[in-house]
Amino acid sequence: MATFKIGFLYPEHMDLYGDDGNLIIIKKRLEWLGHSVLITKINLGQNYDLKEYDFLFMGTGTSYNQARVTKELEPQKDTLFALMEEGVPMLFMATAFQLLGQSYVIDRGKSVTGLGIFNFYVENGLHRLTGNTLISAILNGQEVSIVGFANHMARIYSEDENLLPFGLVVKGQGNNNDKLEGIRYKNFIGSNLHGPLLAKNPILADYFIDVMFKRKNINRDVILDDAIELFAHQQARTRLI
Amino acid sequence: MGKIRLIIAIIVGKLMICLTKLTGSQGTVFPGRIALIICPEILKILGENISEEIIVITGTNGKTTTSNMVAQILKEHDYSLVHNAAGANMITGITTAFIDKTNLIGTKIFHYALLETDEANIPLLLKELTPKVVVITNFFSDQLDRFGQLDNIINLVKDALRNTKIELVLNADDPLVTHFQSDTGLHCWYFGFKETDYDKKESFHNNKVGKYCVFCQSELVFDKYHYAQLGKFYCPNCGNRNPEPNFVAHSLVMNPTISFWVNDIYIESPYQGFYNAYNILAAVSIAKLVGLKDEFITNAIKIYQPQAGRMESFNIAAKKVILILVKNPIGLNQAMAALEQESQSKNILFILNDNAGDSRDVSWIWETDLEMLATNQLNINNFICAGTCSGDIAVRLKYSGFPAGNIVLVKNLAEGIEELITRDSEVCYVFTTYSALFSSRKMLIKYQDKYKADISALKVKDFMGMGE
Repeated sequence: MATFKIGFLYPEHMDLYGDDGNLIIIKKRLEWLGHSVLITKINLGQNYDLKEYDFLFMGTGTSYNQARVTKELEPQKDTLFALMEEGVPMLFMATAFQLLGQSYVIDRGKSVTGLGIFNFYVENGLHRLTGNTLISAILNGQEVSIVGFANHMARIYSEDENLLPFGLVVKGQGNNNDKLEGIRYKNFIGSNLHGPLLAKNPILADYFIDVMFKRKNINRDVILDDAIELFAHQQARTRLI
Repeated sequence: MGKIRLIIAIIVGKLMICLTKLTGSQGTVFPGRIALIICPEILKILGENISEEIIVITGTNGKTTTSNMVAQILKEHDYSLVHNAAGANMITGITTAFIDKTNLIGTKIFHYALLETDEANIPLLLKELTPKVVVITNFFSDQLDRFGQLDNIINLVKDALRNTKIELVLNADDPLVTHFQSDTGLHCWYFGFKETDYDKKESFHNNKVGKYCVFCQSELVFDKYHYAQLGKFYCPNCGNRNPEPNFVAHSLVMNPTISFWVNDIYIESPYQGFYNAYNILAAVSIAKLVGLKDEFITNAIKIYQPQAGRMESFNIAAKKVILILVKNPIGLNQAMAALEQESQSKNILFILNDNAGDSRDVSWIWETDLEMLATNQLNINNFICAGTCSGDIAVRLKYSGFPAGNIVLVKNLAEGIEELITRDSEVCYVFTTYSALFSSRKMLIKYQDKYKADISALKVKDFMGMGE
């Protein structure tokens, strides 16, 4: 039995749309697999060491909070990128991953500088892109289907050759009109899909868990009964295709 | 020419209302929509037939219950009124209510219009009608997908109210509502609760709404919470705090039905739950402002019974089944809190839809305190999951710690009700989102009648010696 440390970045400011459900899911699944989990809530103004965590998560926030968090993370951005390079699993939702690019838009259309970790920029569209969405992603070399609910004003344009999309849109809304959804760099995934994302995609939850296991040299010997989760996935998928 | 268009719109609207009534559907939106296409000024014109006042009730939760209670009080007074009682609270539903009540040439006069209005529809409504009073019950996170974020809705409503002569009736306990006075400059009346025996030191775990001062973004300090972010608060940075209410509620008792005082009026109601105490307080405040008599107010509230989905009770196969509308995190938390008052073992049918009228994004079920299910202090035997998003609620329940083996997925409503009443429990609940409220209610009545018929048939057989 191992203990996994999860860093929950800025829960007071970045956690809309039930995003923290993703951590409830990761935690429960690790516990069902016989391990223990310690979730640390990291708030603005607190000292912390990002290197301590086995998994990092940040949810969605308003543009006001997005700007506050960007300022807070600025001194940490090299550490954050080094951890991504190293393969630390991370999941950032919507405005959380959007602040990692060159620029994004806060209220009334003002463009502000992002952390610049990746070479993409975010503009605001004329209307919100919302609705149930089905994408196809590659996890562990296999094509898998992922479902979630898109809800954002952002239009994300990537010019970064090293940055992959999280998936290809089969039905629903992506980053903009290019049929791509989210961003991906090694084990870092940024996605606009809520639900929370992991609820109907146990395969994605297990992807993060498998990475955590590998990094701790733990073998996975228990298979969880995902009948309910897979029903929910199938139900959402069937309605879209 | 305009007059002819108006009359055509009224006639077409009335015909469509008749048709929808004949088919037994709750189509309260469509007639208004068509009438507005035929005669875009119809609402403005019919609004001029109100002789006394137009009262608008908005906010996230409690609009329907509050406006229905005010309607009951006005009826006690024998006032005539236009009221969108079916809860269709968009501009189209409100137009339908006016068409339904008016005569064929659109000249019939009414004393009051009582309009429960969806927050996002306030700007549209204020372009057509000039209410005397706008009541804001509270602001919670609701249907975020439709509006963007809560801040946006609040700003939308605020912008629409500026530069009007409207008087506001505001919840003095909600930090997201109280700032309307300084931001609009309008005359405001406040209602609020003094400390009660049911107050908590902490809000629920996931409460992020109303945590920060709207003026300076500092974290607010709460002496106590009534529920959610409603409570006694102040801002240590800029001094923002609850205004002194004009209508003060005190000595609240929930046993489990509600009684309390509003200033010097004693109120009793068959309703349950703190959120309903707020609805009653808002209704009493409006009635007092309009100048209605105390005895009519207390009497109307006392006899006013819970309506469709507001804890309405059915009896199926000798089992009590209670129907509760749940449409957002606060509503679901409050429904769960109401279950705490009931010690009997329970089955719950949860119908989660994401249709028109519901939140399209069902992630709101994760912003709730369902983790209390892990210890089963609520004595729940089974959760039966139905609706377009039955899988979502089943997953949520599983991760709340509720035993997966007692989560039942069903294909449709009928199967859900069968499971609900045949599985072992002393009492049953149906939680439903808005779009399944009327269909589930209809189905519950059908089952209620069916089992009644079965029992009387059985009795006849017994009597004739043909039992077995």
